[in-house]
Amino acid sequence: MRRLSITAVCVLQAIANGFQYGFDIIDQTQLPSGTVYPALGRLERDGLVRSAWENEADAHADGRPARRYYKLTAPGVKALGEAAAFYRSMLPAGKPRAARG
Amino acid sequence: MLRWCDFVLRAASPLVPYDIRRDWLREWRAEFACAATRAARLNQPMPMASLPRALGAIVHAAWLRWDQWRVEMIVQDIKHAIRSLRRKPSFTAVVVLTLAIGIGGTTAIFGAVNAVLLRPLPYPEPDQLVRVYKTTLEDADRVGGSVSPPDFTDWRRDNGSFGEMAAANSGSLALTGLGAAEQIPAGLVTGGFFDVMGIRAELGRAMTTADDPMGSRDVVVLSHELWERRFGSNGGMIGQQIVLDGVRYEVIGVMPRGFQYPLRSEMWVPLRFSARDLETQRGAHYLDVIGRLKRGVSIERAREDMRAIGARLARDFPRTNRESSASVHPLRESMVGSVRQSMFVLLGAVGLVLAIVCVNVASLVLVRAIGRGRELAVRVAIGAGRTSLVRSLLAESVMLAAAGAVVGLVFAYWATTAIASMDPSIGVPLLNQTRLDVTVIGFAIAVAMIASIVFGTMPAWQATSIGDVVLRVREEGGSTTGDPKRQRMRSVLIVAETTLAVVLLVGAGLLARSFDRLLSVDLGFSGDAVQTFGVSLPTAKYSAPLQRQAFIDTLVTRAAQHPNVESAGAVFGLPLTNFRYGISTSTRGGITLSDDDQDRLTLQVRLVTPDYFKTMGIPIVKGRGFTSTDRFGGQLVAMLNETGAARVWPDQDSLGHHLELGTRLGLGGARAGGMVVGVAGDVRDHGPAARVAPTIYLPYAQWPDDSMTIVAKARNGDPLSLVQPMRALLQELDGDVPMSSVRSMQQVSSIAVAQPRLYLVLIASFATTAMLLSAIGLYGVLAYAVGQRTREIGIRLALGAKRGEVLRMVMTQAGRLAITGVALGLGAAVLASRALRSQLFEIAPTDVLTYAVVGIGLLIVALAASWIPARRASRIDPLAALRHD
Repeated sequence: MRRLSITAVCVLQAIANGFQYGFDIIDQTQLPSGTVYPALGRLERDGLVRSAWENEADAHADGRPARRYYKLTAPGVKALGEAAAFYRSMLPAGKPRAARG
Repeated sequence: MLRWCDFVLRAASPLVPYDIRRDWLREWRAEFACAATRAARLNQPMPMASLPRALGAIVHAAWLRWDQWRVEMIVQDIKHAIRSLRRKPSFTAVVVLTLAIGIGGTTAIFGAVNAVLLRPLPYPEPDQLVRVYKTTLEDADRVGGSVSPPDFTDWRRDNGSFGEMAAANSGSLALTGLGAAEQIPAGLVTGGFFDVMGIRAELGRAMTTADDPMGSRDVVVLSHELWERRFGSNGGMIGQQIVLDGVRYEVIGVMPRGFQYPLRSEMWVPLRFSARDLETQRGAHYLDVIGRLKRGVSIERAREDMRAIGARLARDFPRTNRESSASVHPLRESMVGSVRQSMFVLLGAVGLVLAIVCVNVASLVLVRAIGRGRELAVRVAIGAGRTSLVRSLLAESVMLAAAGAVVGLVFAYWATTAIASMDPSIGVPLLNQTRLDVTVIGFAIAVAMIASIVFGTMPAWQATSIGDVVLRVREEGGSTTGDPKRQRMRSVLIVAETTLAVVLLVGAGLLARSFDRLLSVDLGFSGDAVQTFGVSLPTAKYSAPLQRQAFIDTLVTRAAQHPNVESAGAVFGLPLTNFRYGISTSTRGGITLSDDDQDRLTLQVRLVTPDYFKTMGIPIVKGRGFTSTDRFGGQLVAMLNETGAARVWPDQDSLGHHLELGTRLGLGGARAGGMVVGVAGDVRDHGPAARVAPTIYLPYAQWPDDSMTIVAKARNGDPLSLVQPMRALLQELDGDVPMSSVRSMQQVSSIAVAQPRLYLVLIASFATTAMLLSAIGLYGVLAYAVGQRTREIGIRLALGAKRGEVLRMVMTQAGRLAITGVALGLGAAVLASRALRSQLFEIAPTDVLTYAVVGIGLLIVALAASWIPARRASRIDPLAALRHD
């Protein structure tokens, strides 16, 4: 498979970090919404993430509408591991890592 | 804020594909609602960052649309298009071939235009390269005007605008001593020439200004092609000596492949001026001057600079330069300026063919799309929107255009190769550089894309109107007539096609009439069965005029003795070879003429042997021709042509009068001229369209030159049969004298009209293609209309209509379309044919006969094309028709 773009790695990493909703991922990655949503669309099409609607009842109990959440699939976890390792290897030795693992 | 965000979402939502639109809206709204809830819980307003985030939704929506299109269109539509086109192989083949003709033709002509007019000249920084001309005060900015050596030297020394300036002249030199002697085209150039062109030697060195002084070593630079052809690409040639015109030259360098300027030079030797040349030759104009502008100097500044120098020379040398000025023009303009208009007219003509092709294909695609009513209706019934139908039909068009482009490029490759290998004597500079490069292929792709949009969109849109599709299903169940709206659209296409075809046919007709006039011009000689070839005597070996005279005399006499030769002669300046050698008359009847009269009485000079006139069939209209008694040491004699005689002695007979030219030639340094002993018939030396120049003939025996053309007339009528015996004769007389420019007089005449002929052939073939396409288009539309109306016609016949009436009805429909198209076309042709004005000879662009023939001819073709469908309509069986569908 093609190597993931930095945007895709950021988005996958945000999801892996537990930020599963669209706007949360935007806040976490600091990327514009017009970048994050198409990236999510591509990752879903490639089978690296999957999405679902949260339980309506739970959302209503929280006083808000139900949101769509995103989760990494097994190939997504693997692809993230490989891509993150590649980008890390590009950094000069001794410098702090770009993203929390 | 939430309201604004929701507004943006609603505005963007139509972009989202329908099947995911609800989910998309729900997801975004939920996110904004959560953000609002979160802010409310903190008692804060919704953050301002929400608005740009909402704008991101537009990007997301557009991306989703594109993503769907990409997947669907590129994969699904293309698969579907290919399947559907393969089901109709004859339709596909006709459309692809038609498109290939249009795209291939346009691409090939664009390839030529690109080579001649658009692509930068193949020299470094070509924008700085210019030609400098000597002009007159009256026409100071003219393109054209040779320069004399002293003027060139002064220009080069005094200008402040040029990094370097050089003079060049083209000629030819005989290469001997290495196998067969060969006359080789050569550039005679001053030292700065290669610096101006910006070309470095591939091997060894180029000439520099250090090679300029008189008495320096004789050096030669070879072209890559000559070095390859004659010297086997031998790297050790540098420093070697070769013999040119009997003189030893040292090879100092080899130029890179493809460099051949000026004209088609295959080698370059120094052009040097002696102190005496610079003193005496200010009136002798024979140099071409080129220059490279200094960086940052504009062409306007160079023009002012040169004009100022011209004004100073006019003051300093009033006798020769009183009326003179100088002009500066880009090198490309001076090379191709004369053919620019014809190239663009050709491109326009082939563009019209392409337009007709598009219209024709549009009409075919429309008919096919409409014929697929049931299929489209089924697709609508199972939920396809109009956009998806249009897209699928467009995909077919794109596929057709792509296939048309591929086949068209094959055509274009073949055509550009043919164009590039055309005989250079056609006189279109840089034409041999024509090739399919990235620009030309890009052009073909762009043309194909535009064509597919032009012929694909309109029919696709029309054929897929949902109401129409439903109607059509009903129609197929029992409608009687075609839908008038669609019929109208096809009629418009036919009229457009006919209009364009008429424009092209009128153009072709005008050119054909003009060419016919050109061919019927009496050239003043009859070159039947005459073979010609050039000989150039090496100066070193034939330095004495009498040696030259003796050699040519022997050659001509021996040639005439050959059993197959009726007569033979020699001339300096064969007709129709673009040879110009004009010298002003200095004295008439012993009286020196004024400067103005001298210029007015400039005569073309031709040196001839006695039998030249007989061999060429040029009549002696008064007095006598030259004889073998007109020799060196005897009375100096001359002949004039009729125009010359009338110009020099307008009011009296020229016979017995004396005249002298302003130059010293040949033996003893006498002024050329003599007593007029005869008047020869006018010869159109510069082609059928050019005016006859006043000409003086001088006997070769009194003025021997080293470069002559031998003419020999074959008894058996086949001039080519003389080539071998003449070559053997020349070899026997002197193996070091090569035979050059071996051509029959018929070939020479044919070359003289090669450019108008090529132009005519191209435009005529475009026009014929256009006419055939529009006839096929008309036939197709009528055949389809008749098919559609079978039921209606059947009812008419059943109700008692006569077959003749049905025939008339269909023919009237066709006639109406054809007449409209022809009328519009004739009107458009009046405007368009103005572009041809400069190409026409003795024919007005509004020549009534041409317009009438084209108009009537096209109507006949149109009616012939509609005859078959009309006859088919009149033969419909009413019973079968009523059961139709």
